[in-house]
Amino acid sequence: MIEMFLWALVLVSLMATLVISIYGIVVRPSLIKKLIALTILTDSANLFAIMIGYRLIYPVIPPVLPQRTQEGLSKLIASSVDPLPQALVITAVVIGMAVNVLIAFAIIQIYRIYGTTDVRKIAEVMTDGKAQ
Amino acid sequence: MKRGHIIALGVFIALILLVSLGITFVGKVPMTTDVRPLGLFYLKNSYFGNYAARSPEVVTSILWDYRGLDTLFETGVFFLAIISALALFRIEKKEEKVKEKGEGFTFIVKDTVRIISVLIVAVSAAIALHGHLTPGGGFQGGSALAVVPLLIIVAFSKYALEERGLTKDTAMIVRSIGLISIIILVLIPLAAGGYLMQNLPVFPSHIFGQLTSGSLVFYNLFEYIAVGAGFTAVFLLLSIPEKVFHEILGGEKE
Repeated sequence: MIEMFLWALVLVSLMATLVISIYGIVVRPSLIKKLIALTILTDSANLFAIMIGYRLIYPVIPPVLPQRTQEGLSKLIASSVDPLPQALVITAVVIGMAVNVLIAFAIIQIYRIYGTTDVRKIAEVMTDGKAQ
Repeated sequence: MKRGHIIALGVFIALILLVSLGITFVGKVPMTTDVRPLGLFYLKNSYFGNYAARSPEVVTSILWDYRGLDTLFETGVFFLAIISALALFRIEKKEEKVKEKGEGFTFIVKDTVRIISVLIVAVSAAIALHGHLTPGGGFQGGSALAVVPLLIIVAFSKYALEERGLTKDTAMIVRSIGLISIIILVLIPLAAGGYLMQNLPVFPSHIFGQLTSGSLVFYNLFEYIAVGAGFTAVFLLLSIPEKVFHEILGGEKE
């Protein structure tokens, strides 16, 4: 029972983190804070994927063969976590890192040109430029 | 922290606890104790079996063998993202060295960085080349390798790297060599009469008595080079002084 409660607590906290990060992306005016919220969103989504592959048993090992024998294989099948979500997450992490670099570069360039990272002020400057 | 914030935080934490308690009592918590059939297939076949990649590390064998095309296109996305970031920071004219003031850090920082950089290169190479035996691989090793130029930029300067030949252009060339080698590795099985990205009968599972798991060790090596050099180029661009950009952007900002 207590195990179930703790697992539910972790899941609900993760969902709350997802909701908070979406709030940060939508509501916060600063582009930097939007980027931070976006990284929190990707990380908690990745953690969700990892948790799908987790097994709630006691001796749980990573998906690496302990010994290269048939005994090691049966030990692996008996107590290893699901390797597929981990393989999907490692690709997601690297893509996320590269995309974050791209977004950060764009934000730096926007700051150099407009002198601010506040989306409201950037919108003002852009509409002023049109009026001229 | 204002009083309202504390109350909001308290309500939030209470809500989380209540919801998880509720789920527990309803008994609808998804708790898996078994591996799914697809995961079981990978676990059984990674080292033994008819569809083996001969790799004791199951994640790496999924990454570069069973679901290799995923990783290939993921490398393509990585390539595009880095290329677009470089295009955003493009400088047409030749960059002039901005004069530095002061003497920089003390010898403690500089000597520590000198020693630690060598250690980091060794550790990152170990992470990448053992990727088919222990947790790790090309991405992780490459990201660890990119810490070295970052440390050197902080402790010495960007020009310390560029005077020794590691400019943005050389980093891009090294990265392109890594990516082209990956594409050649993908195409080799086709030439040998197999499928695209096929691993084992085409590549040998042991070289000089060492377990290399076919093509996995080569993919990890070239991915290591490509990721490390790509992030090095990014860090070199990020460390261009602001003064240079102000001159180029033409004083639009005070």
